[in-house]
Amino acid sequence: MNWTPNPRLSRALWTGGLVLLVAFPFYADTYSVTTLIRVFYFGLLAVSTGFLIGQGGMVSLGQVAFAGVAGYTIGLFAYEREMPFVLAILLAFAAVVVVSFAFGLVAMRTHGLVFLMITLAFGQICWAFAQQNTSLLHGWAGIRGIRPPTVFGIDFKSTPNFYWAALVLFALALLLLHRITRSRFGLALNGVRESPRRMAALGYPVYWIRVISFVLAALYAGAGGILATYSTGIITPTSLQLSRTIWVLLMVILGGAAYFWGPVVGTIVTVGLDVLISQYSERYNLVIGVIFLLVILFAPNGILGGLARLTSKRPRTAILATEAAVPATEGSGVSAES
Amino acid sequence: MSSSVVLLVLNGLTQAAILFVLGSGLTLAFGLMRIVNLAHGTFYMLGGYIGYSTLKSSGSWPLAVLAGGLSIALLGLVFERLMLSRVRGSDLPETLLTVALSMIIADLCLVFWERSPLTLNVPEALNPSIPVFGVTYPGFRFLLMAAAIFIAVGLWAMLYKTKLGAAVRAGVDDRETVSALGVNIQTIYTSVFVLSGFLGGVAGVLGGSYLQLSPGGDTTILTYSLVVVIVGGMGSLSGAFLSSILLGQIISFGLAYAPQYAYFLIFIPMALVLALRPQGLMGRKLA
Repeated sequence: MNWTPNPRLSRALWTGGLVLLVAFPFYADTYSVTTLIRVFYFGLLAVSTGFLIGQGGMVSLGQVAFAGVAGYTIGLFAYEREMPFVLAILLAFAAVVVVSFAFGLVAMRTHGLVFLMITLAFGQICWAFAQQNTSLLHGWAGIRGIRPPTVFGIDFKSTPNFYWAALVLFALALLLLHRITRSRFGLALNGVRESPRRMAALGYPVYWIRVISFVLAALYAGAGGILATYSTGIITPTSLQLSRTIWVLLMVILGGAAYFWGPVVGTIVTVGLDVLISQYSERYNLVIGVIFLLVILFAPNGILGGLARLTSKRPRTAILATEAAVPATEGSGVSAES
Repeated sequence: MSSSVVLLVLNGLTQAAILFVLGSGLTLAFGLMRIVNLAHGTFYMLGGYIGYSTLKSSGSWPLAVLAGGLSIALLGLVFERLMLSRVRGSDLPETLLTVALSMIIADLCLVFWERSPLTLNVPEALNPSIPVFGVTYPGFRFLLMAAAIFIAVGLWAMLYKTKLGAAVRAGVDDRETVSALGVNIQTIYTSVFVLSGFLGGVAGVLGGSYLQLSPGGDTTILTYSLVVVIVGGMGSLSGAFLSSILLGQIISFGLAYAPQYAYFLIFIPMALVLALRPQGLMGRKLA
């Protein structure tokens, strides 16, 4: 929130916005409420990807897979094996930690473009696994009919209740990430983004900082996956496919990858665009692709970068304009580090 | 060897031929330009579709291969000159541009071609049944393998026997020095990207004659090509050749013996390579 001029106005805007959000189910129709729930779960995915890009300089195209891991765990255990939902959710997060840690150990041996390629391949393999495995994951059909639980008499099958739960989760997740971004760990991660060598020379465990932030981001994607699965009631390979990753990437870039709030703003705009375009045309991928193209060519700092320029503040060092964490000497993106 | 094993090995080699043509284009562009063309899968698909339409209207399969390759080469030329060159030197925008391009092409393909899977029907004349090691195998698939070998030799000759190739190889090692020596690196970039597009388009026609072309298939192809490049080593032609053969066999045997995990299996060599030899089988470690 760089462009808001004075702290008082800023606080008033925040409070007003929050009140509007909390009261949303009272004055909006169910479709709009469901759309905002979509913003929340896509928002978690975008924040997950944006955190890695913006704070860590790591462009991961595999975050959607972690949402899928969490979603399938919910489907398999909460729904098919009727496990208590708290256990199922814990299990889903545990699965995400195990998978992201194991994959992170391998992937963090690489940097930059190679990392990007590997995460993309990883995401695709998870997708293909979900699609080809019929015995456990039911192939294309996926798992259907997953319903949110009733907790302490509150029925989360009702859309407003679910909305509030999602809102609280989303807000807490953002607050926590904001803290982390500004913590010593977050600053160390920024250091790793700027110069892994210097950080290593200063004695920071560069490799582990990257692995931990990767697991952290995966947890956010997982939270998004859990929310999405409960909200839509289904988890299928479609939730893991590449087009969804591209969508999330667009959200991050459109909002402004260098800004904490960039992914959130991008998600709101992208979901809004989707709602708008799909009313008129079947070709929304085409439209969104063209928008994507234009943003990269003409507004690489995204919406927040554009706003910062309007209010004559210097835009933050553009993530898009710099080499993404590949020092020139490590051109191949592979280093012998660790 | 039992005849089913012979058949699987041959299928694996056919698959390898397509993978090599596909992966060589991607690896060349990466090696020189440090660009990951995430539209490579859509290049393949569009090339295949254009080949399909050419074959349907002309009846000539070689013409289809040429049309698929050349049209994508042209697309690559326009894209490189108008878009990529504007953001030259920064990894992320370059990659994202290719993502946007692939979104656009994939959606346009849905407009111009039917959604049901298509296969190019190779004319009988090019497809005699050939008996080998006790099985009869469609001769056309040998043609695919021959085409891949022809392309491999052609690329090798281009890289090691021509002036352009020398400039490309020098550019892979040190871009700045090459341009300081008076070589127009821009032209070389464009040529390599066009060549890469040509190979992607040709791979689409070859692949579309052996497998199917279908909407959404481009992402699978993209993954295959990325794995070929990662396992083989970025920018290495011989690496792409080796890893294509390896992955072709894994895909072929995987489909036969563990169909539920066929696609998953190609992850294993990738993970092994990353863990043990991150620069890839034939990749050079850059200090």
